[in-house]
Amino acid sequence: MVATARPGWSRRAQYGLFFSFLAVIAGIVVGVILLTMSLVAPKAFQTVRGAALDVTGPVAGALHEVTATASGVFTGAGNYWDAANQNAKLKRERQTMLRRMVEAKAIVQENQQLKATLQLREHDQNVVAVGRIVGSSFNSLRRFAILSAGGKDGVRIGMPVRSADGLVGRIIDAGTLASRVMLVSDRANIVPARLLRGGIPVIAQGRGDGTIDVRPLEVGRNPFKRGDIIITSGTGGLYPPLVPVARVVKLDDDGAVALPLADPSMISFAIVEPPFEPAAVAAESAPQAEDTP
Amino acid sequence: MVRAALSGRTRIGREPAPYAPYVPAATVVVGSLLAALPIISMSGWYPDFGFVVLISWRLLRADPWPAWWAAPLGLINDLFTGLPIGFSVALWSATMLLLDLIDRRTMWRDYWIEWVLAAVLLAIDQWLQWQLARTMGADLPRTRMLPPIAISVCIFPPSAWIVARMDAWRLRR
Repeated sequence: MVATARPGWSRRAQYGLFFSFLAVIAGIVVGVILLTMSLVAPKAFQTVRGAALDVTGPVAGALHEVTATASGVFTGAGNYWDAANQNAKLKRERQTMLRRMVEAKAIVQENQQLKATLQLREHDQNVVAVGRIVGSSFNSLRRFAILSAGGKDGVRIGMPVRSADGLVGRIIDAGTLASRVMLVSDRANIVPARLLRGGIPVIAQGRGDGTIDVRPLEVGRNPFKRGDIIITSGTGGLYPPLVPVARVVKLDDDGAVALPLADPSMISFAIVEPPFEPAAVAAESAPQAEDTP
Repeated sequence: MVRAALSGRTRIGREPAPYAPYVPAATVVVGSLLAALPIISMSGWYPDFGFVVLISWRLLRADPWPAWWAAPLGLINDLFTGLPIGFSVALWSATMLLLDLIDRRTMWRDYWIEWVLAAVLLAIDQWLQWQLARTMGADLPRTRMLPPIAISVCIFPPSAWIVARMDAWRLRR
């Protein structure tokens, strides 16, 4: 219906067009009001956004299953191609891994003894839920991913998400069956972190294109080197400490660009954990609750 | 007469499919639902499929759906793509109105003008998304808008072609 066209002399047609014009204007006004509400009071639409996730999440999960199977068949066939060589190589690798593991076990024991002498309080990290990354916001400037675990499994908004490789992000929308994760590479996701080498405190902020900006907290000499590992510091209370975040790949003027260690397209499982220090998070998010859309 | 007899397909008694009025809106919803595809991208350069399909239909015909349908279609898009609720509602309604006004002004139209119009609308869409990301605390560099704009402008001609085929199919032309 051409809402602004001239319909001729028919009163009835004129009114019809005028009301459709008004309806479009009303659509714009309602849209602007809804947008303002979702910017000012992000919690207002939690339920409806969660319900939409429950529709798309399982669909994406099922499709993900199909593509994973298809690619699994092809890589599986590829593995048979060079089986003998691969076998020999894997055996060699296994030998070296065994040696490393013995070393690591010794180090863990030593570490426990040292910690016991220092009487450090250990947080028992209990897992809330385990899910798979089944989709992403591939048509948006923001970096979100869809996780196949939701409120049914105990996932709540604000919980940190990690994988075996490193930090993935945190939950921003939770449906019953699926939830949405703000990845560490999103621009609005700021992670208090430190350098593994030397423990210099840094701030990691996503760049929106799959990489992360890291900046030292203290202004001065650029402390980064290529290949440096960034780990979470536990400051702020949301993310648990000592989770690997990213590896530095490029230096710039006052910081560096790093690649996340947990690539959401490669990790098979993501683990949702409770907030590290819930009390601290609550205290901090009370005055400025603006980071969820 | 002879040619008509040779063509084989009779044009008499062929009427639009009973569900013809709902096909355009349904294809827009399908476009929005493409967001559920299991693509895990690190860059987010894919186009806003729902919006591309919407302007493809609106540029092909003046009456694919009653103009106010743009608002509920936008709401569906917001819910499935994870945009802040209300963004597509306002943008899509405004697009319908803007294209109505443009229809009154333009003397003639061809594919190039439609493509330019679509490119301008898609650029506005991306620019607004960028502004929105800024207000929500994700201050991205301006150049980050360019790849998604270029890709969605290139996606428009295939989308317009598919939509034209769908239109012929639903009206049994």
